[in-house]
Amino acid sequence: MSPGFRNALPVMLFLLAGFAAPLIAVTWFSFMPPRTFAFTGTPTLENYETIFQSTSYISFLWSLALAALTVVLLALIAYPVAYGLVRVFGKWSMLATLLFTIPLFVSENIRLYGWVLFLIKNGVMLGTLKTYFGIQAESILFTLPAIVLGMVYVYLPFMLFPMTLGISMVPQDTRDAATDLGASRWQVFREVELPLSLPGIMIGCLLTFVLAVGAIAEAKVLGGQQIIPITHDIEIAFTYSQNWPLGAALSVLLMLVVGALVVLVLRRFDLDVLLGRR
Amino acid sequence: MALAQISRRNFMQQSALWAAAFAGGGMAGMATAQAAREKELNILCWEGYNSAQVLDPFRSSRGATVKAESLTNDPTMINRLRAGETNIWDLINVNNPWARKIMLPEKLIKPLDRAKFEPFFNSMMPEFKAPYKWAMDDSGEQLIGIAQRFGPYSFVVNTDKVSRATAEDQGWNLWNDPANAGKYGILESDDWNVFCLCCIAGFDPFKVHNDEEVAKFTETAKRVFKGAKLVGDIATMNQALVAGEIDFHLTGGTYSASPARADGHPEIRGITPKSGPLAGGKGGIAWIEITSVVNNPQVSPLAEDFLAYVQAPDVAHTVAFAEGTYNPVTQMGNPECFKLFSKEQLDAIQWDSLAEEMARSAEYDIVPDYDKLLDIMTAAKREASGG
Repeated sequence: MSPGFRNALPVMLFLLAGFAAPLIAVTWFSFMPPRTFAFTGTPTLENYETIFQSTSYISFLWSLALAALTVVLLALIAYPVAYGLVRVFGKWSMLATLLFTIPLFVSENIRLYGWVLFLIKNGVMLGTLKTYFGIQAESILFTLPAIVLGMVYVYLPFMLFPMTLGISMVPQDTRDAATDLGASRWQVFREVELPLSLPGIMIGCLLTFVLAVGAIAEAKVLGGQQIIPITHDIEIAFTYSQNWPLGAALSVLLMLVVGALVVLVLRRFDLDVLLGRR
Repeated sequence: MALAQISRRNFMQQSALWAAAFAGGGMAGMATAQAAREKELNILCWEGYNSAQVLDPFRSSRGATVKAESLTNDPTMINRLRAGETNIWDLINVNNPWARKIMLPEKLIKPLDRAKFEPFFNSMMPEFKAPYKWAMDDSGEQLIGIAQRFGPYSFVVNTDKVSRATAEDQGWNLWNDPANAGKYGILESDDWNVFCLCCIAGFDPFKVHNDEEVAKFTETAKRVFKGAKLVGDIATMNQALVAGEIDFHLTGGTYSASPARADGHPEIRGITPKSGPLAGGKGGIAWIEITSVVNNPQVSPLAEDFLAYVQAPDVAHTVAFAEGTYNPVTQMGNPECFKLFSKEQLDAIQWDSLAEEMARSAEYDIVPDYDKLLDIMTAAKREASGG
């Protein structure tokens, strides 16, 4: 046994017990007969058959579409903010960073219920508009836009901070050199800054996508369950349906779909290459 | 320096000693844990019994460690016991049919001492006098639990938008009127929603359903979920009713409406339809919680002690108004208990109509083909997604 292997053994065992074992358990459970609670049943593909014969694809598509939309919107919103934090805000960027970080200390559910109070009919926004300005507007609460708003709001820091890091990794000297060589501001951005900050953007997008695919609270709280993401289907299987094997099979499929998408993206954009290690 | 004297060999020896000491200590700890079941109680319950107001006086008077976990549906709790947690829990608090029809036959709970506990029923409200059906086994010989909280549970309206009389007369047909699409919410309480959808579809939920009824159920589930403005928890339903986002919501009653009523919104009211498709032409459904002792091989002696503790008038009153939701309790039949309720509290739990609503309600029961109907409903909810 090489010393390296021996030294790595405790961590490997820890990862095996703490990370791999639950995943293996879930995967194994997905092959157990429907509505059973033991690991000892005869393995079957029945749960997967049920899923492929059902309308579960609707939930899968909603989860993937909402996550993709969140990533696109966040990329557009977070890049200028990240750029500002690194290059423009100067001494205020610390304060701004703090403002973006503080909400993370408050539970997501509480923040979302805060949005409910803000958006609900006769609530903070519509109530104020009605009372002080006489404007009657329909609330967007319990609709698709409210869900998207919630997701963009909740996952903003997960896009913003990797992006900030990415932009701050672009050396000032490189930008100066580009300018000295006659590049316009647009060219500096397009040909120097954007490509060099790509690792941060990619990491932000991946992180946000993977988290957003697992989102459930936004659709439940702000969306009034008008949309059922796959995570909600999994929750129903484990609670009201008491069909743990079905829930496990849905979880395995979700992991496979998300895993495949991440691998595809990573093959297209090799992070090591982007980070300049190779 | 002591550190310098540790050689590789005596380090190993010392480590072994330490390990042995820890292992021994651990085992000693386990032995203590077993003996300490005298002072330990674990309760699996609906919310309320897990509140500090109810548990703290018991903890301090008995010097006991009491853990209570609350869940919000019966099948989950039963399945926790089925999955082997009978050796963890001492008490289980679920709705009426489960103790008698499922948990006792499956040996998940054990009978109570009839001589000790039956007298408690005699100070309860008249309809709960011993032998009370849901607290007894099928033979009527064994006492298997104690009744405390109960209430009618059909649907809730904002009486500023739909009058009580209209709601009671129209009943479940409120959901069959196409003009009401977009005006209502659905409480996320999937087991009860299955019952309510059966009622809207026009048949009794608590029986095996034929193909025609299942087809009707499917159509009804799709239509009702499609027309729902939102699906959510109790707080969301009450907020949406008060704010005017919705006019009424499916599945609800005293249990869900009482927090809003106690908060100064008497217009939010649980409704029991005057008539409906339930047994005997009854219009609504009511639940009665039964708390039973789990068939735990090492059940805590505090389990029975706790059952007796919650019967005291002041504790029963606390249970009725524990955090979360507010509910009538059977002990209100005892004048000592009843006098503890203020007028506001009686208003919150709709005391004025409680007796007539209970009389118009069938008692919660098990739906034999629940799994099938639930799957249909879950699919309907998913298919309404984004519509």
